[in-house]
Amino acid sequence: MLKPLVDDISETTVSRRRVLGGALFWASCGIVVAILGVIGGGVLRFLYPRALYEASKIFKVGSPESYKIGSVNLVTGRGVWIVREQEGFYAILAKCTHLGCQPIWYEDQQVFKCPCHGSRFHKDGVNFAGPAPRPLDRLYLSLASDGRLEVDKGKDVGLDYKLKV
Amino acid sequence: MNDKTELKERLRLLTVIREEALLRQRDIYPREEKVDTWPNLVVKELIALLIFTIVLVVWALVQDAPLEELANPGLTPREAKAPWYFVGLQELLVYFDPWMAGVVLPTVILVGLALVPYLDPDPIKGVGRYAIGKRKFAAFCFIFGFTMWFVLVVVGQYFRGPGWNFYLPWESLDSPKEVEVALTNFPLAAGIAFLACYYILGLGIPAVTFQNFFWRLGLIRYHITMILLMTMMLVPVKILLRQVFHIRYIVETPWFNI
Amino acid sequence: MNIFVQMWRSLFRTGVTDSPVHRVFRVVVNFILHLHPARVSKNGIKITYTFCLGGLSVLFFVMTALTGGLLMIYYTPDVDKAYANMLDLENVIPFGMFLRNLHRFAAHAMVISVSLHMLRVFLTASYKSPREFNWVIGVGLLLMTFLLSFTGYLLPWDQLSYWAVTVGTTMAENTPIVGTKGPFSVLGPEEDMRFILLGGTSIDQPTLIRFYFAHCIGLPGALVGLMALHFWRVRKAGGISRPL
Repeated sequence: MLKPLVDDISETTVSRRRVLGGALFWASCGIVVAILGVIGGGVLRFLYPRALYEASKIFKVGSPESYKIGSVNLVTGRGVWIVREQEGFYAILAKCTHLGCQPIWYEDQQVFKCPCHGSRFHKDGVNFAGPAPRPLDRLYLSLASDGRLEVDKGKDVGLDYKLKV
Repeated sequence: MNDKTELKERLRLLTVIREEALLRQRDIYPREEKVDTWPNLVVKELIALLIFTIVLVVWALVQDAPLEELANPGLTPREAKAPWYFVGLQELLVYFDPWMAGVVLPTVILVGLALVPYLDPDPIKGVGRYAIGKRKFAAFCFIFGFTMWFVLVVVGQYFRGPGWNFYLPWESLDSPKEVEVALTNFPLAAGIAFLACYYILGLGIPAVTFQNFFWRLGLIRYHITMILLMTMMLVPVKILLRQVFHIRYIVETPWFNI
Repeated sequence: MNIFVQMWRSLFRTGVTDSPVHRVFRVVVNFILHLHPARVSKNGIKITYTFCLGGLSVLFFVMTALTGGLLMIYYTPDVDKAYANMLDLENVIPFGMFLRNLHRFAAHAMVISVSLHMLRVFLTASYKSPREFNWVIGVGLLLMTFLLSFTGYLLPWDQLSYWAVTVGTTMAENTPIVGTKGPFSVLGPEEDMRFILLGGTSIDQPTLIRFYFAHCIGLPGALVGLMALHFWRVRKAGGISRPL
């Protein structure tokens, strides 16, 4: 007969101790996981500040009359083009949909070209060459109460959007 | 606890210990020649340390680290290149969309690398020496991927100019290159069929042809290995499709393109 | 005992006598050398076997850490000052440019030696049992090396760094599911992967601070931890792999 590892402990005691021990073990595991989860969640949340000290996403870009029909104007410092066509205005985000470089408008060829990977876009922002996967984002453009144009960089409107003035 | 479970438990422990002992036994070499770390190894380390310290100091004296103008969010420079060790990925961006080249492929590479020891079915072959001939498949996969990474780095670093156009290293970067190649996509059904065939045949043909190989790896290991291998091979396949047949996307959907 | 002899002996406790016991003792009692076993297999330390690549990776890491620590003295992670600090390092601070060069080139060298070390370990099948998990740790070290290089790239705040990081973080924006522009995106521009990296929606002051923290504290800490584990496991697996 094998010599028991622990002497003289009745079977019931052992089994109760086992059950309690097991319960304690799994409870500890649960608590450890919960603590790690709380810490992880906390760290993750910590990385998202409640307020951003960034330039406002909504800004005014002057009166409609200051744009000539057919012109493409870069709003410096804002990274937005205001395009005026016969039918109306639209605003394009000056950020290549490939990897975020700022394309350059070539007036003579009437195309936007991205210097990073050679993506090209028509005047309306539609991509036609290079690796860009999507057309350039078109931004919400409206007429503010003071008669000036107002761009909302946070709102991506579809390619059909045009502001008639 | 009754005797039987006790006995079982003890036997189980014994097996673990025995396995551990066997595991270590592989590292016990009765006839192995050992030498003192001091001075044999220490001297070699010292020499390597001195040589490379001197090389780097001289390098740092003769060449300056680049510094361009102050960052300007409103002006993209003519060439926006990533640091050289990421230029390989940037080169892939010509062939794949950013989510694929920048996220999925690097993840697959890292996961694939981490899985290497678990996918190799043979526990001892070739250990401790350069026995590439004995591990042809493994060596091929690794060297192929390793070489491809550095070939892409070299192409991206030395053969790409403004607009990521192809320039030979001695060509002037000022001469504009306007390469207009009309690219086409596979029709959706054909693209899906192509990819499906690619993976099914890629997994199926070796399984039938090399049955020994298949059974040695086992079902799970075989599939993981071959999916990783076929995904790696997708890169040259896509480059070929793009450069020779002017295919832009194999699969084009409103949500994602491959 | 002469006081100077006493000082010397307290520093170098093994003396200069050469005997088998002294050789062993010298390795065992030395903090750096004790990473090695006292006796090593003759085959395992052949130059043509390891090419010293693991050790060289450590050397390059130590070099970047030392030069990086010194550079921190003159560097301010502030978008208005960072670039000026770079110019100062170049023009005003004695050996400033030299340290920056050494930091950068040692980082290049580290990327190369870590890659080649991985190639060496693969070709000698040294990832096989019982070293499987150490290979996985090695892959982690490779990733850390790349991330360190990438985060360091932004710090000079010049055109090169700004646009390289623009390209890099736009990829994060394109991550499937957790990137706002990626396939099957579920998160907005102010909650996605890129936002965590940038600390905002554009590369600006919060980005510089985040990259600075990651480059100087977060990633080196993780790297050192993984390195310790890596070396420990090399020893526990019986040292450098040898033919079976």
